[in-house]
Amino acid sequence: MNKRMTTRRNFLRASLLSAGGMALPGTIPGLFANPANGTPMRFIFMHRGNGLFPKVMVPPSLSQQDKAREEKKEPFEVDLEAHDLPDWMAPLQAHKDHLTILQGLSGKMCTTGHHSWCSSLGVFKANERPSSIKRATVDFELAKLYPSPMEHIELACFPTDGGNARGSLDGVAMGFSARGAQQPNYAFGSPKGAVEELYQSVSSNKEDQIKYQLERKVMAFASENQARLAAGLSGIEQTKITHYADSIDALRERNRKIEAMGDVLRQHVPQLDPKYLADNLSTLDRQRAHAEVLLSALISGLTNVVAFTVDELGHHYTGIPGIENEKVNMHDVGHNKTIAGVEAEEVRKRCRHHHMTLVDTIVTRLKGIPEGSGTMFDNTMLFYFPDSGETHHSQGWEYPFVVMAGRNAKLDLGRRYLRLPYHGQEGHKTLGNWYTTLLNAYGNPIEHYGDFDLTLRLDQSGPIRRFLA
Amino acid sequence: MNTRALRSWKTTGRIGAALLLAIPALHRMSAGEAAGAFTVPPPVDAVMESHCFSCHDEDSQKGDIRLDQFHALPLAGRLDLLNKVQEQLFLKAMPPAKKKQPSPADRDLLAGWVSAELKKHQASKLEDKLRYPAYGNYVDHATLFSGEITDAPYSPARRWLVSPQIFEERVKDVFSLEGRDRQRSFPGVTNPFLLPDQSGVRDYDNAMLNGGHLLVMLPNAEWISSKQLRAARVKKGEIKADEFPNANDRWAPRETPAAFEAVILKNGVPSDEELIDAIQTQFGLVLGRKAQSDEIKRYLELTRSSLEVAGNTEGLRQMLVSVLLESEFLYRLELGDGEADPDGRKRLSPLEAARAISYALGDRGPDAALRQAAAAGKLITKEDFRREVERLLADETYCAGPVDPGISGKNMQSHVTSHPKLVRFFREFFGYPMAAKVFKDIERSDGYYQNPERGTLGTPGFLIEEADQIVDWYLQRDQAVFENLLTTGEFFVYHDKDNETGRKIIAEWTEAYNKLKDTDWKANPEKVIAENRAFIQSKKSLRILGGHEKREFLRHMYFFGETIGKGRTPFTTVSFAHGYTYNHSIFYNLPPTPGVFRYGEIENRNFKGLDDVEFWDYPVEQPFALPHRKGILTHPAWLIAHSSNFHTDPVKRGRWIREKLLAGRVPDVPITVDAQVPEDPHKTFRERVENVTQKAECWKCHQHMNPLGFPLEVFDDFGRYRLDEPLEYPEHLISKATKKNGADVFQTKAVSSLGELLGTGDPDLDGEVKDPFELIDRLAKSTRVRQSIIRHAFRFFMGRNELLSDSQTLIAADQAYVHSGGSFKAVVVSLLTSDSFRYRKPTS
Repeated sequence: MNKRMTTRRNFLRASLLSAGGMALPGTIPGLFANPANGTPMRFIFMHRGNGLFPKVMVPPSLSQQDKAREEKKEPFEVDLEAHDLPDWMAPLQAHKDHLTILQGLSGKMCTTGHHSWCSSLGVFKANERPSSIKRATVDFELAKLYPSPMEHIELACFPTDGGNARGSLDGVAMGFSARGAQQPNYAFGSPKGAVEELYQSVSSNKEDQIKYQLERKVMAFASENQARLAAGLSGIEQTKITHYADSIDALRERNRKIEAMGDVLRQHVPQLDPKYLADNLSTLDRQRAHAEVLLSALISGLTNVVAFTVDELGHHYTGIPGIENEKVNMHDVGHNKTIAGVEAEEVRKRCRHHHMTLVDTIVTRLKGIPEGSGTMFDNTMLFYFPDSGETHHSQGWEYPFVVMAGRNAKLDLGRRYLRLPYHGQEGHKTLGNWYTTLLNAYGNPIEHYGDFDLTLRLDQSGPIRRFLA
Repeated sequence: MNTRALRSWKTTGRIGAALLLAIPALHRMSAGEAAGAFTVPPPVDAVMESHCFSCHDEDSQKGDIRLDQFHALPLAGRLDLLNKVQEQLFLKAMPPAKKKQPSPADRDLLAGWVSAELKKHQASKLEDKLRYPAYGNYVDHATLFSGEITDAPYSPARRWLVSPQIFEERVKDVFSLEGRDRQRSFPGVTNPFLLPDQSGVRDYDNAMLNGGHLLVMLPNAEWISSKQLRAARVKKGEIKADEFPNANDRWAPRETPAAFEAVILKNGVPSDEELIDAIQTQFGLVLGRKAQSDEIKRYLELTRSSLEVAGNTEGLRQMLVSVLLESEFLYRLELGDGEADPDGRKRLSPLEAARAISYALGDRGPDAALRQAAAAGKLITKEDFRREVERLLADETYCAGPVDPGISGKNMQSHVTSHPKLVRFFREFFGYPMAAKVFKDIERSDGYYQNPERGTLGTPGFLIEEADQIVDWYLQRDQAVFENLLTTGEFFVYHDKDNETGRKIIAEWTEAYNKLKDTDWKANPEKVIAENRAFIQSKKSLRILGGHEKREFLRHMYFFGETIGKGRTPFTTVSFAHGYTYNHSIFYNLPPTPGVFRYGEIENRNFKGLDDVEFWDYPVEQPFALPHRKGILTHPAWLIAHSSNFHTDPVKRGRWIREKLLAGRVPDVPITVDAQVPEDPHKTFRERVENVTQKAECWKCHQHMNPLGFPLEVFDDFGRYRLDEPLEYPEHLISKATKKNGADVFQTKAVSSLGELLGTGDPDLDGEVKDPFELIDRLAKSTRVRQSIIRHAFRFFMGRNELLSDSQTLIAADQAYVHSGGSFKAVVVSLLTSDSFRYRKPTS
């Protein structure tokens, strides 16, 4: 057996360890977990489609020597203090102390190309069929470590064409995270819909109140129904019903917890600008509104983990500065088509810049929320990365990351531009190593998270130890 | 288990049966003592004194186990220890073979006491494990087929989770869809069920609903109920006919059921009668039965209160959602009905019987004839069951459909047949669909292998579909089915059209090529097309005209030239067809067919002609004979499914034969064992496996697997036949790949195909084998192998492991197969008319 393959013993050990950090299959983990002791960490996974070019991540002020290293994709690092950020990252200038630009991670064990679906969060090959989901994605694993009433919230600017189109931009549809093996998560496409659903219990709208009341009524009825059925049974047949009845009760309990948070929730119901509630929301406004929902969900304590699909290849962009009225097919942009006189790379840049304004909004707002002896941002990590790798037709050679980390983050990242050894080079690291690092740092002792890269002839298990210092 | 079973177990001395027993005398004794301090009954203590304490008392404590201190342990610790003892006794792992063995009576005494103690606290882990597929073979094979067991067979009264396919059909039933309308999927419905990935029967009755299912069912119920009411809402004017919450989701049934429409259209509060009518309608659509009086009362109350809060439409919808969330929608209920017979068994109710038969043979609920038989009280006797089962097996349409829509993709569709469920048994039994779960280095396949990706299952998808075709071919002939599937030398490869269509295409192509080959087609293709337009147009298989005529014409002619022109028959789908991805013939050791890009440059000014490649002489008539193949175990799909990412897996292949064909047991690898095959650049993989498994503690288990798996080493991990194995290490590199994704060339070493068959129970068959073909021939002649397949068929159709009390059912099914000349349908009829299928007994 090759070294690059996991051994059965390692696999079992890893599985057991990981199982230790996970809820039993079929349960709804966050609902049963005890409230976290102390201040929880928050995690925001912002991922985007169409690839993220490694070249655009590079600070323009690098020395000639470092530029040469960068060209050759040799490992090196520099303190960002002494460097300019790429133009599109300008909105992060004020947060430079918390910024790490991480390059060199690979993800060839993921489905790449146009879309990756759950791949880049789960480190396996996924093909839009729930059966291809091998495990809970890393955001869900982190959510288990910091339980909350909603456990996890996913927001998305859905693709409406391409290989993995969703029915509409505004629905609740299969998202890009996974609750567990073969269990896709569901994401809110519409910020308005998300607010209605998440804050239904404190809504002042009569229709929402009625809907809320009816849903609770149905759940109570279903719970009683199944409990009555179970009462007349014994042994495994009883368990078959009580399992289901318990799940219904667990959801009711979640709702009860959310109801109990009523006063807090009321304070944090996102006050969305009316334009964000419109039916024909532009992409950029949808993203802004999603960021507001994300913030309110974190600040109110509904969840500690949010996955945010900022865009996806099959999403048709609207509202891009300078070409606001164009409906931009991002696939065309991926193929370098000029849109209304604006070159594809410039279109990409304007989108990225907008994404960074969202990051700025999130970080600034969290920095303004007192928590403990500091602010809420101290206990937050945000990741911005491509879901499908280094380019439009990616092969998983590189997954560039923008990381924003508060001061209580348990990783030694720092204010750095950091290029890790490239794929195949000694010391190379994969998405699996990166996520193992996160999980280990925050209390899940899993030996290795994710699949291995079959093309990589290196020992590739475990965390990136330098970050755990 | 009754006293007859106990007697039979004691007669044969099988300790396993004792696990399923509660020995009344011991049980009473333990119960009596439960009030005071825990004590071990003196007879049991005496057995342990004689056979256990020498290793597991205060002095020895081997394995940190003490069996002389039960009384001192807290309950949890005691139960934990008892569970360990129970498993060791059941597996006959203790006392060790080299030690003096207890008499069968003493074993039964000890095992019975352990079982009774655990049962008092419902704490037996082994009894729970025995319900799972991996433990199916733990019931002794010889006893099962000995004829000694005469217990009345039954299945436990149960709820059996619906399969993914049945769930889809049930949703269609909610909308009362028929005919072509059923051939649709629903964008708002996510299937909450997925069967486990494993080789072997997967759909067991011990799976249960959980929170994951609920989370999926909530939006499903919302969507379904909204669609159920849409037509009536449009009629009432609540929404416009062209108004959709989701523009991409416009489907809805044409009509809302009348009872629902009456409630929605009513101005004012509906009467109890109207609401009850609506409740009964939803019960009928979703659960296939009438609501009982207590259910009506509760649902009426829910509906009334919901109507008060939200009005008629939304109030009614809450009732619809609630019925959809009933666990009964997601379980198949088989509880039994009526008076229990002297053995405590109840017959399936007529409705349960109708569903059980229908779901055994297909995915849909009962057809009209079956429903009618149930309603008329004609689904009671064995003959009633036989009549209906034989009728449905003869029906070519009701159950017809794709074997596995899940493997269909943009380039390939799953094989369609009259009874997909029967094919599914064999694909689960053989486990070849697992090929789609094994990812490969495509370079090692010389670039031919395509891993499953988005929208396609790639190479394994094609191979799985071709294995399905073989299975169906022999099922349709229905003679010597097991033997044929194990030994056939005929296979389907690239068979995407029936034989007759294929013949017509080849005739047209040959005629066209012969007519045009001597024209100036290379230099003046446009002229040749113009001169022969009517001729080309008359040949339906020539898709040349209408678009890029010149390009298509040239492609066809080059394609014909290097196939027909060289005396070979071309594959009947041109390689330049849109989405063409056939390139897996090499995994059968067949020559390749032209790739999708082969004719891409023919219009290029610099095109200098095609390199000379010996393409496959395609057999239009299929199945066709393939050299070096014998049955499914030599099919590339099976071989890949039972391989690893980089290597063959003789251990896995041998284990499959041991467990699936020889009804044997192999314990799981202990977690403390590091199951690695060490690297050695100078040895074949077989040699490396032999080296690492020869230690006594390894060989104890590997002796049951390796000798069966080693002969299959003549097939590599892509399923290719070979006599030599490349030593894929840098020091053996002969040359690097010369093309993109091509394979490096390494020095090779001869593969040994020797093996040994042990465990058929037949001295004429057991013994050394020279290669896999001899092994397979012998397996196919084995009674035990035939019976082992029958056991797995039992598990598939009953959804559970066999009990000793199913002995008569299994013997009857086996005899049905033998006396019918190897008809699998005869096996199915036998199983579905058996007492195991027709009777239910409540679980304790």
